[in-house]
Amino acid sequence: MKLVNKLLVLISAISFSFSAYAVDKSFPNDKVTMWGDFSGVTLQVKLIGGAPYEPLYQEMIPIWEEKTGGKVEILSKKSHFELDKEIKQDIAAGDLGWCVGSNHTSFAPQYGDIYADLNGIVSAEYLAEFTPLILEHSTYNNKLVQLPQHSDVSNLFYIKSLYEDNDNKKNFKSEYGYDLTPPETWAQVKDQSIFFADPPNFYGTQYVGKEEAITGRFYEMLIAEGGSLFDDNWNPTFNDEAGQRALQWFKDLYDAKAVPAGVMNYLWDETGLGFASGTVAMNLDWGGWAAFFNGADSKISGDVGVIRAPLGSGGKRTGWSGSHTYSITNECPNKEAAASFIWILTNHEAQMHEARTGKLPTMPKVWDAIAKEMNDTGNVFMAEVFSTFKTSMAEDAVTPPLIPEWIPFSNIIFPELQKAILGDKSIKEALDYAAKETAYMMEDAGY
Amino acid sequence: MKFKFLKSPIMLIMPAIIAISIVVIIPLIFSFYTSFTSYKLTRPDSLFNFVGLRNYERIFSNSEWWWTYLRTILFLTIALNVELLLGLGIALLINKITWGQRTLRTIMMFPMMFSPILVGFQWKYIFNDNIGLLNNFLYLFGYESAIAWLIDQKLAMGSILAAEIWANTAIFSILLLAGLMGIPKDPIEAARVDGCSSWQVFKHITLPFLMPFIFIALTIRSLDVGRAYDIVHIMTGGGPAMRTELTWTTIARIGYKDANMGMANAMSYLSIILSIAFTYYFFTKLKASRQELGQ
Repeated sequence: MKLVNKLLVLISAISFSFSAYAVDKSFPNDKVTMWGDFSGVTLQVKLIGGAPYEPLYQEMIPIWEEKTGGKVEILSKKSHFELDKEIKQDIAAGDLGWCVGSNHTSFAPQYGDIYADLNGIVSAEYLAEFTPLILEHSTYNNKLVQLPQHSDVSNLFYIKSLYEDNDNKKNFKSEYGYDLTPPETWAQVKDQSIFFADPPNFYGTQYVGKEEAITGRFYEMLIAEGGSLFDDNWNPTFNDEAGQRALQWFKDLYDAKAVPAGVMNYLWDETGLGFASGTVAMNLDWGGWAAFFNGADSKISGDVGVIRAPLGSGGKRTGWSGSHTYSITNECPNKEAAASFIWILTNHEAQMHEARTGKLPTMPKVWDAIAKEMNDTGNVFMAEVFSTFKTSMAEDAVTPPLIPEWIPFSNIIFPELQKAILGDKSIKEALDYAAKETAYMMEDAGY
Repeated sequence: MKFKFLKSPIMLIMPAIIAISIVVIIPLIFSFYTSFTSYKLTRPDSLFNFVGLRNYERIFSNSEWWWTYLRTILFLTIALNVELLLGLGIALLINKITWGQRTLRTIMMFPMMFSPILVGFQWKYIFNDNIGLLNNFLYLFGYESAIAWLIDQKLAMGSILAAEIWANTAIFSILLLAGLMGIPKDPIEAARVDGCSSWQVFKHITLPFLMPFIFIALTIRSLDVGRAYDIVHIMTGGGPAMRTELTWTTIARIGYKDANMGMANAMSYLSIILSIAFTYYFFTKLKASRQELGQ
């Protein structure tokens, strides 16, 4: 039965249900519109694919084609990691005649100068509608190389009924000496995860355990513990005491079996689906999953709470952040059409469409509009989600270093993080080795 | 004179030489050259940044790489031996069947028809510790612990081997079945008349006849397994903690994710040595087995 339930969650997740709201084709809330007559223009684009991204394309691309007379030819639609590989091959082959590509603030610095500066291509009036800090993160080498569609930051979702259960409250207090409430610190997350865990049926929490995902999780825990990846001269510093404390948290949970045994192979799909299956008490995740967690296909529908990401011992909250964006190549033959296309994917109406599923807007006025809409429709949970995420975007969000070496750095450190968590190396040995290799890599890169 | 030159044998094979040069030799020379540069995919100008033997020196001093290299040899050895034994067993059983053999041969080839990526996803799901078929099957029988098939030091590599063997054993079966069908009946019947047991017939007649087919199958599969990537990439990505890392998962990560194609090509040339060594060994054995048969 357990298997069948989990399978149902898995299958239903694939057919992710999105908002029933239709897009208003008159775009009444957009002060700036960028329509044009692009009859005869075929815009070649490379987009991030997958269930969470498709509804926007399906909604907006036909509208753009109808209103401008242009055509959109999708050359690739892949996961971001696959798209990243393809774009690197395009750079090597000099095959950059396509126009618009999905991008990300963490990935953009790798691509050198293939993307055009959007200042001048996109009107200043339209740019003024975006949150200035997010535009700053979208800037590389003083060029605005991407326009943000939505942002990422993670907060803590939890199963409310676990915290309302009187037996849980009594037992937790007698064991740990303080009241059982949604956790304020990562140390409390550890205590509560161990308390709730009943493997293999139920786990306290989980984390993404491989590739850039665990690098980012370690990075934000490091910041929360008061550490940093590099010093001012780009020498690695993550192997100091703060780094060791940050990594110890992951290892302690793994050793206590408070997280699923397979977490070292998990990415976001596994953690999201796992939480929705009702077998995990707490889950740090981005807002894009919120509607699903509380939707009809989730086993914990109606029983989900959300709080800001907890504090580390350094007094800071975790807040690894970035933005999904669109860029225009320098070689694009019709940049005006390309700008019009990225406008329709990033404008007020598009962001509202995405925000209804929990994705975080990049325009302040969309934050206000979505909060009002959720309050007006009585959707208390989503109103709480947006209120929580708005605060964390404003106060906790921190991007990884916006340098081309972020992904190569991640490929150095993540196997070492895994080795320490699994016990193949001590925490110090693993971090010291990663620091040494990172120093070589940074030196080679000219830092 | 001009007409005579055009009729020369070199001119006749020139199209083949040009085609092979374009498709094989030029890319090989190019990639070999890049292994001496700091070529990064995202910085095309680095193609001309010659660094001599630096990439190779770094590889030789990198213990992680050599563990990966040894792991690949072990993976190759286990996969080839298990596939050979299973493939031989299946071929012998199917060869005995007198009714429905064609249908069984077709069914046997089904796993080969799946793309390796699909096979990877299928087995990743089977071995998933939380929602996987295998663990949930074990729960039905009262097993109370979630086995981390794709995490555990020994089980992770075993799980990938299971997928690889499931997908490719049929190659051995088909080739060995072809060999069995080609064995003359007379020596076998003569041996039986002389009172040989089934084991003696197999050991002294069937197996020697099959040996050339076995070594051809081993050669083909050693080249395949030596560059195993898709199934490993999907099931574990070489992790966790590099426990299932093989040479080509390392090379793909360094070449495409890090965009460090110069280093990746240097690693590729060292990996090719492994395939050449296995191929040379099996071809030597093939030659010896054919000589034994008087061929």
